[in-house]
Amino acid sequence: MIRFSALSKHYGPLQAVRELTLRVIPGEVYALLGPNGAGKTTALRCLATMLKPSSGSAEVCGVDVALDPLGARRQIAFLSSSMGLYERLSARELVAYFGRLHGLERDVLAKRVDEMIDLFAIGEFSERLCGKLSTGQRQRVSLARALVHDPPVLILDEPTLGLDVLSGRTIHDFIIRERGRGKTILLSTHQMEEVDLLADRVGILRRGRLVAEGSPTELVQALGAPNLARAFLALMSEWALVPGEGQA
Amino acid sequence: MSPTWWVVFRKELRETLRDRRTLFVMVAVPVLLYPVLLIGTEQLFLFGARNLEAEASPVSVVGDALGTLLDLVEASEVLVLRPLAGDPAEAIREDAVTAVAVVGTGVDPEGTRDVTLLFDGASDRSQRAHTQLRRVVEAWRDSMMVQRLRDRGLPTTFAAPVAVVDSSIARPADVGGYTLGRVLPLLLVMMTVLGAFYPAIDLAAGEKERGTLETLLTAPVPAGAIVVGKFVTVALMGVIAAGLNLASMLLTFQTGALQVTQVIGLEVSLPLGSVAVIFLTLVPLAVLFGAVFLGIAVRSGSFKEAQNALTPIYMLALFPAMLPIFPGIDFGPLLALTPVAGVSFFFRDLMAGDAGWLLGGLVLVSTTLYAIAGLLFAARAFGSERVLFGGDETSEVSAEPWTTRLWSRARPGRVPTLGTVLTFVGMVAVLFFFGGIRMQLAWGERGLLAAEWLLLLGPAVLFVALGRFDPRLALSLRSPRAPHMLGAVLLIAGALPIVWLVGWLQSFVLPIPWDLLEGLEELVTAQSLDRFLWLMLILAITPAFCEEIVFRGVLLGGTRTLEPWRMIVLNGVVFGAFHLSFETAIRFLPTALLGALIAWAVWRTGSLWVGTLMHFLNNATIVVLTSLPAVREVFSDPEAPPPLWLVPFGALALGLGIRVIVRARGAAVEVTPEGAGAA
Repeated sequence: MIRFSALSKHYGPLQAVRELTLRVIPGEVYALLGPNGAGKTTALRCLATMLKPSSGSAEVCGVDVALDPLGARRQIAFLSSSMGLYERLSARELVAYFGRLHGLERDVLAKRVDEMIDLFAIGEFSERLCGKLSTGQRQRVSLARALVHDPPVLILDEPTLGLDVLSGRTIHDFIIRERGRGKTILLSTHQMEEVDLLADRVGILRRGRLVAEGSPTELVQALGAPNLARAFLALMSEWALVPGEGQA
Repeated sequence: MSPTWWVVFRKELRETLRDRRTLFVMVAVPVLLYPVLLIGTEQLFLFGARNLEAEASPVSVVGDALGTLLDLVEASEVLVLRPLAGDPAEAIREDAVTAVAVVGTGVDPEGTRDVTLLFDGASDRSQRAHTQLRRVVEAWRDSMMVQRLRDRGLPTTFAAPVAVVDSSIARPADVGGYTLGRVLPLLLVMMTVLGAFYPAIDLAAGEKERGTLETLLTAPVPAGAIVVGKFVTVALMGVIAAGLNLASMLLTFQTGALQVTQVIGLEVSLPLGSVAVIFLTLVPLAVLFGAVFLGIAVRSGSFKEAQNALTPIYMLALFPAMLPIFPGIDFGPLLALTPVAGVSFFFRDLMAGDAGWLLGGLVLVSTTLYAIAGLLFAARAFGSERVLFGGDETSEVSAEPWTTRLWSRARPGRVPTLGTVLTFVGMVAVLFFFGGIRMQLAWGERGLLAAEWLLLLGPAVLFVALGRFDPRLALSLRSPRAPHMLGAVLLIAGALPIVWLVGWLQSFVLPIPWDLLEGLEELVTAQSLDRFLWLMLILAITPAFCEEIVFRGVLLGGTRTLEPWRMIVLNGVVFGAFHLSFETAIRFLPTALLGALIAWAVWRTGSLWVGTLMHFLNNATIVVLTSLPAVREVFSDPEAPPPLWLVPFGALALGLGIRVIVRARGAAVEVTPEGAGAA
């Protein structure tokens, strides 16, 4: 499970995340929504131990990310739209490399790599260098890379950004499947349809602060909007009118 | 299970060996291009030389009473005699002839005469003709001499009472090693460093740019393992490049592929033992540059940015590697401790068969220590989220027109960033070095005065105005308090004998440029009151304002984000380097120490005026001391130690000064990177 407790992160005078408190339980998909610069990526990076919180704390499966970052990393899979694949490694080499970094033993590793290749239908291009793959193929390799150590927590930072409908569908299917397997999933996105389809709960960030939280239905009802997109826009315009809010 | 760094290393190595650019620089250049270029250049040289030799040079001889000279020229196989009617110089310019001997009329009854050889010094053919024609004229002279001696019944040895014969005791192999040793170190260092260049950029900045570093940092890999894995790869690439270069050279020289050495009578070889030692010394060099390049590259945001940052470092590294080319530089402990230079000189001596093993050990140990420091530098970057993911450091320079910025009000709390001030100080140093010297040459002491105000103070004021920096913080313009000024006086009174002691101690290792010191002494010696006041203006008051505003003003203001000791050391080193030149290397250490001390005082008090006072007191004391004949004798000998009783007094005054400033109210000014200053 994931827990943020009054987590703040600032870069100099810029408050990227302010007093963020939220909780995601196993088998739940939690979507973080917010405009650009709202602090979604910073919050996810803090959770993934890439950034140190300025104050407050975050936990993954009971492991404090600041106190035991390596322990926390063993519990998570991090996936972003940039994919971050090594272009001069083949798909198989890349998945195996991350398996080794996660400490998988040789025989377990070989088995797990084969499973990932089958699961994401990578077989036909598994020996091709990542730099030669199409965007959809790269995204599948990226998923295999993230899941090779079978972590209980998935952190997905705009995972479908820039993907076509089919590739996006692969990601959606993957999220639904992993939720069914009891994984804890924290997702950031700009796409309301994606939230409608996948999210059990939604948190809306504005200028680093969590301004609304609940299930999509609860949010729509609370804001009296016809759908989540309208509810989101209403929330943004309402807060934009509040004097003094959001000064960095 | 393999250690994590080993997993990272294996993957990095695999990726690097699949990078065509790295392979080209590391393998193709030394293995193929290098010998091809070397032998190709040699063949072109030999071809040109043979072409010249195959041609007979058209020459003319003009004048009176030429005697047998014309016969000698005609008999020469390498000269062709051509008649000449017009101006000889014009004929050479028009390529009608390549050289002309103009024989003057006899100045005595025996026919002694002048011979002028005209030739074109900018033409290979004409120079060669000149040499050949000169030989013929000298043969003519000798035949006339022999004739004169015979006429007087004297032996031919009469005109040559001393016969000088040159005989070098060096074997051809020694000469070959000596000659080769001047060029090879540069090539080897260049190729070794180049071998680490692209891998470092690719593995650090390239990884950041491609977004893979973010992915890597989500795996349970300690930053140290990433650094070690990457570093070992980069260093290994440098070592492989070094090995391939050495092997390639070995093959080129040992197989006798080079003909030019036979033509000029040199025996060029690389003994296997020397090659092994050279390789051993190249390893820490590759390690050093691997670490430094990696540390700099990871601080860059993109491949291109890293390339821009590393290229000057690479060029800078070549300078000490070039030193063995210059004659008259002996390899000693100081050079052995100088990064890159030590390795280059050790190679030179190894090639000449004259290597000092103690110095070699010093090179190996010091280069290894530098390599460890470089590795720590790289490791720190991988532990910093600001370096890895960017963040709070943004350019402080506005996009508004400079005229608007010049006249607009400064933004409170705004100070320049580290990179901005270092660039500024670098530009000012270059401007002062070239512009200041020209002004001094043109206007003498007035030029020095003008250079200080126009090329130091002027740009510093403009920099602060254009950048809209807060002058109070950017230049440390806080008003000093009385204890600060008292502390400043005590500090400089204590520092003078200590710095003198340091200067004296370094005279044991650094040569003293006597000519320069005498010139300086003459400059700072006042013979009259007017002269004394003038010297105080140009040597004490002016530097106290103009140099302080640059070094303890702008430089210190922009480096306050560093840890205090780093900021102070950097300030001293830059200040010392600013006063450095080839002739005045002995000024570096004393000046750097003084600069660091003044920087500490200004940082501690937040007041540039404290630095101005200290700088003035230091320089004014020197002018006063050298202007008083009674003390000049005592104080003007750089080889003389300071009076020993002064040293403990100096240390005492220094300690008191520090205590007074530390205990005075008002702490050091803290400035955050974004420029929010607080006292």
